[in-house]
Amino acid sequence: MAAEKDTDTYGVTAPYGDELNDDVARWDRAGEFPREKWKPLQRSGLFTLPFAPEYGGAGRTLTETMSALEGLGHTSRDAGLNFSASTQIVSVGIPLQAFGSEELRSRYLPRVTSGEAITAHAITEPSHGSDVMNIRTTAVREGDEYVIDGGKMFITNAPVADLFLLYVRTGKPGAFGLSTFLAERSTPGLKIGEPLETMGLRTSPISEVTLENVRLPAANRLGSEGAGFLIMDYVMKREVLFSFAVNLGEMTHRLGRVLEHATTRQQFGSAIGKNQAVSHKIADMRIAVETARKWLYDTGRKVEQGTDASLDVAATKIVVSEANQLTARHAIQIFGARGYLTDTGIERELRNATSGSIYSGTNEIQRNCIAALMGL
Amino acid sequence: MTTTASDPIRAYIVSEFLAGEDAEDLTDDFDLIESTVVNSLGLVRLISWISETYRIPVDDIPLEPAAYRTLADIRRFVEQAAPASV
Repeated sequence: MAAEKDTDTYGVTAPYGDELNDDVARWDRAGEFPREKWKPLQRSGLFTLPFAPEYGGAGRTLTETMSALEGLGHTSRDAGLNFSASTQIVSVGIPLQAFGSEELRSRYLPRVTSGEAITAHAITEPSHGSDVMNIRTTAVREGDEYVIDGGKMFITNAPVADLFLLYVRTGKPGAFGLSTFLAERSTPGLKIGEPLETMGLRTSPISEVTLENVRLPAANRLGSEGAGFLIMDYVMKREVLFSFAVNLGEMTHRLGRVLEHATTRQQFGSAIGKNQAVSHKIADMRIAVETARKWLYDTGRKVEQGTDASLDVAATKIVVSEANQLTARHAIQIFGARGYLTDTGIERELRNATSGSIYSGTNEIQRNCIAALMGL
Repeated sequence: MTTTASDPIRAYIVSEFLAGEDAEDLTDDFDLIESTVVNSLGLVRLISWISETYRIPVDDIPLEPAAYRTLADIRRFVEQAAPASV
């Protein structure tokens, strides 16, 4: 398919496929984070890619990192683990490298790039999901500290995370009253809720985070006071590109599997792929995968070049998440009863794909953004 | 009048916030905030673009809308923060 697969980062996790794919169905049923599979991801160097060598990074570009994550999606059938791995790269490491002080970078980035410290970012709140302009968790300055009170919801990796990036309100309502702070799990007053049961991505743990009288040094703030929304804008663009590059790899793998099934499964004396009812679905899957690829890497290159890609990122998120859902539905239909059984893993892919139109800003919010950017 | 080729800030504002308008109609003292051509979300995009295009650290960027009220205001700030880039 496309050239990005030829980059030397695409295959960084490929040698670890057996470990990553061990007992995926059991982990999914249990709804547990497969911590033992974190180690092969650490060994692969995946977490080092977009970071500077002085912090243990590999100094790779944004699109090279996307390619590695696409490769992970193709190699690993554990979409929950894949999502947690993508979150690991983008939630703390990326903003810390771009906006953190040298003291914070040198203290924390090596732990993030090695994967020793698992990371999460806390944006969503119980009463404000995609409405990030109305974040209510507050941070009040007292001398050299900030005192943080409030709560966060649906925080990916929170049950297992060691480091959190908190998006809180330090000032006036609206975009420029937000600030960003780094907090360790052990910080008094930072309480992690029980893991929440989910339909898909069941091995990527999520929970509530409560913040009660959490005291953080002012030095733990990333960027200036009020710059939280700018940091969030920077991070969310990369979150969409990284997590949906994983989806691209997952879809490509799915398409290959469906194609093999359609050419080998015989019904009424011929391969089922000879029926237009089946072959047209596979053609639609191919179109969806290649459209997703074009949007992802075109947008990735724009972001890499510093172009304003706000509309492109929103469109990419919609295109890829909906392609993932369409290809998962078609795969179930083409596999028939076998796809409906849990042991083939096909139904799990549909459950996993469902989340993509919800996280990182729902597709409805993304369409609102696109409409607003068009002056509507 | 400066052309958009030699004036990337004007080119960006016209292409992103005044699509279809003639770039030369945007005067240096036109109030982008008061006119709502640039709203709060637009301001986030504008500041992000300035920060990335001119490699200005976010700590050095003013976050008050008044700093971005007109093309002249924006140009003045960028010239001070990143003189070699303009």
